[in-house]
Formats: sequence, structure tokens, C-alpha cells
Amino acid sequence: MSSHREAPEISKDPVADNADTYAFVSPDNPSTVTIITNYVPLQAPPGGPNFFEFGDDVLYSIHIDNNGDALAEITYEFRFETTLRDPDTFLYNTGPIARLDDPNWNKRQFYTVTRVKGNQRRVLGSGLACPPCNIGPRSTPDYQALGAAAVHALGGGVKVFAGQRNDPFFVDLGSIFDLGDLRPFQNLHLIPTAAAPGVDATKTLNIHSIAIQIPIGDLTAGGTVPTDVMSSSSVLGIWGAASRRKMRVADAANDEKSESGPWIQVSRLGNPLFNEVLVPLGKKDRWNASQPVDDKDYAAGVTHPELGKLLPVLYPKVFPNLAALSSPRADLEAILLTGLPAGIVPGFQNNTGKVLADMLRLNVAVPPSTDPNPLGLIGGDAAGFPNGRRVTDDVVTIELRAIAGVTYPLVDKSYTPDPAAALITQGITPSASRYQAAFPYVGDPYDGYDTPSS
Amino acid sequence: MSSTPRSSLFKAQRVVPAGPAVAEHPTLAQSRRAFLQASAGAAAGVAVVTTGPKLAAAALHGPSNTVPLGAITKPSGPPPPETVMAYVRDAARGEVTVLSGMRETTYRDPELVKRLIDAGR
Repeated sequence: MSSHREAPEISKDPVADNADTYAFVSPDNPSTVTIITNYVPLQAPPGGPNFFEFGDDVLYSIHIDNNGDALAEITYEFRFETTLRDPDTFLYNTGPIARLDDPNWNKRQFYTVTRVKGNQRRVLGSGLACPPCNIGPRSTPDYQALGAAAVHALGGGVKVFAGQRNDPFFVDLGSIFDLGDLRPFQNLHLIPTAAAPGVDATKTLNIHSIAIQIPIGDLTAGGTVPTDVMSSSSVLGIWGAASRRKMRVADAANDEKSESGPWIQVSRLGNPLFNEVLVPLGKKDRWNASQPVDDKDYAAGVTHPELGKLLPVLYPKVFPNLAALSSPRADLEAILLTGLPAGIVPGFQNNTGKVLADMLRLNVAVPPSTDPNPLGLIGGDAAGFPNGRRVTDDVVTIELRAIAGVTYPLVDKSYTPDPAAALITQGITPSASRYQAAFPYVGDPYDGYDTPSS
Repeated sequence: MSSTPRSSLFKAQRVVPAGPAVAEHPTLAQSRRAFLQASAGAAAGVAVVTTGPKLAAAALHGPSNTVPLGAITKPSGPPPPETVMAYVRDAARGEVTVLSGMRETTYRDPELVKRLIDAGR
């Protein structure tokens, strides 16, 4: 979760594992959209001496559909290059790292950002420095300054950051994957134990983020800055992806890793938990290699979600109405595959048309909330998931409630959700210090010296 | 509730059929790792580094289990900047895929396929 290790193949390739994608109108700069894609999930902070990094052999990309065809009209590409100052030491750093060009920092990463629109490719920035991993008080004594220095302005109002962060995604991994347990309700589980608060499994784990802040007019069709929420031109479809070259040969005569051929997509992520929960195990790898425009092949997992059938089994007598619900889940299809059309939620839509595609749909005419509700749209906050996704949105609770039937009355007013459906929670409230109020919005990573603590 | 057999919790659920992770489309037909492993094995095993169809055409005229003398001629152009790799994509159909830079070309050359397979035995 959200798609950390969600498919068999990509679970063995964390460097290319697109774990989460976020997209929101920047709260402190509402003429821009911020998009964040996360990779290399579930990092234990002390993981040295080869600390975590992006893959030099991976193409990271962020795709934007601005006309509802589920194809990318605009793509931002990110390529990384690792350099060693001294290949004759085993050390990541030979002294404290005080700045991004510190001579004590041995193994550094730099990257290039390229904007692709049609056949036009434009390099927005190159030689951009990543921050180091957060090692500890001797090696990275002022990590906040290093992180801040790694925010680069690319001109034209574009900002970018790429490097290690504290994972913003909060989830009770250990509980949910223990037969769908939710600790606050586990007294009602088929295998009951006493109810307990949720455990934030990713609280002190790190991840690698690619964050980019882009003027809205750079993303919309025609370069407009939409103000009409009900206009189709206000909605962007967004997803992240990672690709590897088609062939790689281990060959000492050719620097041991020769590569050739076109880029082959190995991971993607639009809506949180889509591949994780709605795509069956035997199709997850293929889904990662496919494109959103072909997601009709996976629509059955949305309209008849396996988890919707499991909940009444796992929590006997708690979800009788859900158990009796056999109609296709048009509510989930709208939320995840087409966006909500006008007339469903008063004053809101994020519909991109009839093409069934897993994309994060962001209506950029909805202004940022001054009082964000982590439950997003189902909590009355149209600036949050499933209208895009903010780093603070509790997407696990939102999607569990939706699958449990809370959103089905949107398409069938005769249906009454089970009372428990609206009470579902994973029981986690992340600390505000996990995030930043300004770009890149994701917080500094935990350091390896102090984490885990004794 | 606690008396429910643990192993039967999901017996009402449908079983995901076993089988390959991906199928159909030739480009995406195999799981990525299986593809890389198969490709690496094929390319490394037969050490195919070639300028392309010209070699294959020449090979048609030679014995299938030896390198035809005089068949390898001067390259038709300067060597590409990246390593050229190739693999037998479908032995039954006699298909070879050549990757050079970002390009990928698949063509039929049953004789070359036979020679490559023989060379790998």
C-alpha cells in the first residue's frame, strides 16, 4: 500500500516501484499544481553504507492527460546520474555533509528534467543535485538545510525536488494484510481480538520523492487557467510511471551492464491502491506494463471488487447491506475510472469522459482548502481525494469506506449503506510534522542514527 | 466465530487461475523479469553483435552449424554508439529481434535462428 510492493515483479525492483502519486493545487501557490511521485518504498533509515537512491537506469515519468483521451499530452521525464568523488573508499561520505557540493560527500546523484509535449522535448534543467540521505548527526548535521537547498527553480515558475523524504503515506500495513484487520474494529473480526488503536507502519520509514510544481497553464489544453469547476477543461488526468530498457546484459566486457532497446514501462500509479487492491494477483505485472487507456481490461475488479465481498465475510453481521449488493459498482467506476460526472456531487465534477482509465483526476478550478479534511470529498472537502490527492489525505480510509458502500448511494439512492461503513477507519492520525507547508510538502526523512530508537 | 476453520475463510471466493503473469501483446507478452532473463540469456549465450539483416542474409548461404567463411563483410556504416543486442524471439517462427539504441526490429530469418540455436547447444 498504496502501491508499495503491490505486484510480484516490481516488489523485487524497489528502485522502479512507483509507490504513490499525489497531485493537488498548491495551497501556498494556487496558480500552480504540485505533483509528487514516490519510489524506493519502505526504506529503513539506517540502510547503509549504500544508502537509498534513484536508479540511473530507470526512466521516471509523470504523465498528464488534458483532453480526456487517457493518453499523455504532456510528460515530464526525470533521469538520474550517480557520481563518485572517490571510488577507492567504501564510504558514502568521508566527513560531515554541510552543503550539496560538500567535498566530504562521496556518492552523489544529479538529475535532468525534460518536458515532452508531442514531438517536442525541452530540457528544463540538468545537473540538478539531490540531497543526501539522512544519515545521522555526524554526517548530516543540518539536514533541513540540505533538503531546502535541493529545491531547484527551473524558470517559468517551475520548481523541482528529488530525493529522500519521510513517506507521507500512512497506513496500518501490518493489520490490513493480516486478513483485512482494522485494529479499531478487530473485536468484530471473524478472528476477533480486543479493539486497539491503529499502528502507523510507515511513520518512520523513508522514500524517494520526485516533486514538481508547475503553473496550471503549462498543463491544461490551450494553456488556460480554468476557473469554472463544471468545465471539462478544468480536469487533468495524472499518473506516474517508471520504465527500464528492454534488454540488459551482464557483461564484464561491456562495463558489466549493457542496455539496449526502447523503454519498457515496469510500474505506474494513478489512484492509490488501484493495482494493490482491485487488480488480481495474476494480472498485476501486466497492469504495471500497460497504459491507462487500456484499463477497461481491469474494470471488472472495480465494478465487482473482491474486497467488497470479503468485508461481510471478515466482519460477520456488520455489513449485511453490502453483502446483499450484487449490482456493478458504478460509484467506484466513476470515482476511479472516469471521474465523477456533474450532477453527482453538487457543484463538483472531475469527469474525463467515457474512457475507463486509472488516472488521478484533478479539477484545477477547485481552490485549495483552507481547512483540509483528510477524508477529502467524502468529508465535504472537494480539494482532496478523489479530486487529485494531497499528502495528508487518508486514502486508505476513504477507499475502504467507498468499497464498503458509503458512495454507492451516489448512483443508487435506494441503497442504504451499512452504518459501520461510514465508521471505518484505520485509526491513524499522522503528526503534522510529517509534512511541510510549502514545496515539496513532504517532510524531511528520518535519520539512520536515531531511527529506530532503542 | 473463533471456531471457524482458518483455512476456509475464503472458500467462497473465486480462485485466481495459475498462469503466466502477462500474455498476448508481443512487446509486453512476458513478465519483465522473465523477459530480461530470457533476453539476457539469449543475447549473452549467442553473443549476437551484428550490423543487422545483411549478416543474416549472408548466413543463408552457409552451413547451418558453422560460421560461413566470407559471409561477414565490412559494416554498412559506423558502429552504433550503444551496444547492439539480439535474441531469438520465437524459434518456431524463425523470428529474431534486434535492439539498437532505442530502436527494436523483429524480422524472420529461420536460417539464422537455426544457427544461433545450434551455436548455443
